[in-house]
Amino acid sequence: MEMVHARPVTLIQVAGLRKVFRKPEKAPGLRGSLRHLLQRRFSEHVAVDGIDLSVAQGEAVAYVGPNGAGKSTTVKMLSGILVPTAGQVLVDGLVPYRARVENARRVGVVFGQRTQLWWDLPVRDSLELLRDMHGLGAARYRETLARLDDVLGLADLLPVVARKLSLGQRMRADLAAALLHEPRIVYLDEPTIGLDIAVKDRVRSFVRRLVADGTTVMLTTHDLADIEDICRRIVIIDAGRVVYDGDLQSVKDTHVRERSMSFELAAGLPGVDRIAARLPGAQVRAGSDDRELTVTFDRMTLGAREVLAAVLAEAEIVDMHIDEPAIETVVRKVYAGQLRPEPDGGVDRETVS
Amino acid sequence: MVAEARRALWLYRRLLGAQVRATLQYEADFWIMSLSAVLVQAVGVVFLWAIFRSIPEINGWQFWEVVLIYALVVVAEGLSVLVAQGAWTLAVTVNFGQLDAMLLRPYPPVLQVLSSAVGMNGLGNLVLGTGLLIAAVRHVDVSWNVGRVALGLLLVVAAAGVKIGLNLLTNCAAFWLRSPYSMFAFSMHSFGELARFPVTIYGLGVRITLTVVLPYAFMSFFPAAAVLAHGPARWLGLLTPVVAIYCLWIGTTVFRYGLSRYESSGH
Ligand SMILES: Nc1ncnc2c1ncn2[C@@H]1O[C@H](COP(=O)(O)OP(=O)(O)OP(=O)(O)O)[C@@H](O)[C@H]1O
Ligand SMILES: [Mg+2]
Repeated sequence: MEMVHARPVTLIQVAGLRKVFRKPEKAPGLRGSLRHLLQRRFSEHVAVDGIDLSVAQGEAVAYVGPNGAGKSTTVKMLSGILVPTAGQVLVDGLVPYRARVENARRVGVVFGQRTQLWWDLPVRDSLELLRDMHGLGAARYRETLARLDDVLGLADLLPVVARKLSLGQRMRADLAAALLHEPRIVYLDEPTIGLDIAVKDRVRSFVRRLVADGTTVMLTTHDLADIEDICRRIVIIDAGRVVYDGDLQSVKDTHVRERSMSFELAAGLPGVDRIAARLPGAQVRAGSDDRELTVTFDRMTLGAREVLAAVLAEAEIVDMHIDEPAIETVVRKVYAGQLRPEPDGGVDRETVS
Repeated sequence: MVAEARRALWLYRRLLGAQVRATLQYEADFWIMSLSAVLVQAVGVVFLWAIFRSIPEINGWQFWEVVLIYALVVVAEGLSVLVAQGAWTLAVTVNFGQLDAMLLRPYPPVLQVLSSAVGMNGLGNLVLGTGLLIAAVRHVDVSWNVGRVALGLLLVVAAAGVKIGLNLLTNCAAFWLRSPYSMFAFSMHSFGELARFPVTIYGLGVRITLTVVLPYAFMSFFPAAAVLAHGPARWLGLLTPVVAIYCLWIGTTVFRYGLSRYESSGH
């Protein structure tokens, strides 16, 4: 019978998720270690502290937060690597850590920090082993590989032993390995870490295409540009708790309005007042050297072109660049209490102006 | 069910094959490992020979009979490191968070761990062990027929199963000890070396440990007694396949229990 869904199907359902790590309490040095052997003391560290989350099929969610916030730990619980200390996880109807093998058939995971390829084998061998584990037929494998090759440029990586790959090459191979079985759900934990602009762009457009094809994606990153054209929803966590869950655009409109442009000038400026006068509302500062200049402005009221025109009118520019705000800027603002999640998980509301 | 098991076995062979190829990248290592394996075991035989120069028998066991026990250990050990050396990598795998990748693949983690390394020294062991076995078989006072040879082969395979199960079990300590060294498993393995001699020479405590607690004696002494039809131990020796299944089961169970404690690593 054909099912009619009033609402989109929920693929990932998380309630009250918690993870507590036990860390040995050891004094430094040999004496400390020996002492620990005798009286084993542990301190508890709460990495994930009661997270509720629900992700619908086909959604692309950015999962962000400062270092140590508990993002990777969450992903590890969602993918079945870690058993939660408390709470429920249900991914596509399965409890991941109970049904590991079945879960692995449905999800794809990439950890940017660590490869999942066989270290000592050529990439091709790794992919073929995965093909056999997933039980993919020869035709389907060839087809998928060709498609992955198209976007990721795998051809020249296939004969190379994984440990000899550069970081960017390895990431491309890892993405291929994680997506070979065309999973419905994909977790990407910092897939662009350490990559150069060209490879980053490639990875981003690849993920965009995944989302366009209807794959459910959860993306963890420290680079705001990664999520900008990929995700519509952003979940911000800090110290193991969700501090914001809602629309990415509205977060950006309220909190990522600031841009800054830096200029290197041909000659020293006597002062910045004349430029500042041309740019009401913007902050104009001289750098450590009087030939350097930084303009910070609200992108909703001023355009980069106007800023450039104002500076050009007063000085000769040698070099310039625009600084994109990092996700940390948003997170810091959230942390400073400027943004609170609505009880219904809806749109944000300013509490401090 | 059967089809599933066959698939799992086929994948296991695929994984091992991949490891062999990876290992053979380091050809020099292969020869050094094989040679040193042969040397280590040969030293043991010389030691035996030296003992038997001064005493004619140990607890009713002649020189060649003890060589047979010894050969059985060498072969079982060789088989276990060839097909399941991965157990020894658990300490590193667990404590550096490398188990993550295995938990994300649709194949039982325990089989991925066991197949994650191939001990090429196993070949050296097999060659030397088979040589010893043949030499011992020609000297011991037993009439050989098809049945006895079949029993011998079955028990050798079962003996390897016992060792693999015990290796897995003892290496699972990594989930609790959180040290990247397989110290605990290695000391248990060294303790198991006692079973290279007729266990009747030891005190009750050691005997019970080697028979019941960590039944290392089932990879050498008991199966040898069964093949030689020597003494009361021969009846126990016939149980070797059962003990092998038990050891593999308990190793797998403890592994599964350990997995629920696995904490990956901080990054
Ligand atoms: N295996 C572990 N054992 C002990 N503590 C851990 C472990 N894994 C993570 N932690 C701790 O849990 C906290 C959350 O770590 P997690 O890796 O989830 O952070 P994250 O949000 O992914 O950070 P980052 O942006 O740096 O990747 C950290 O304080 C970390 O030290
Ligand atoms: Mg992380």
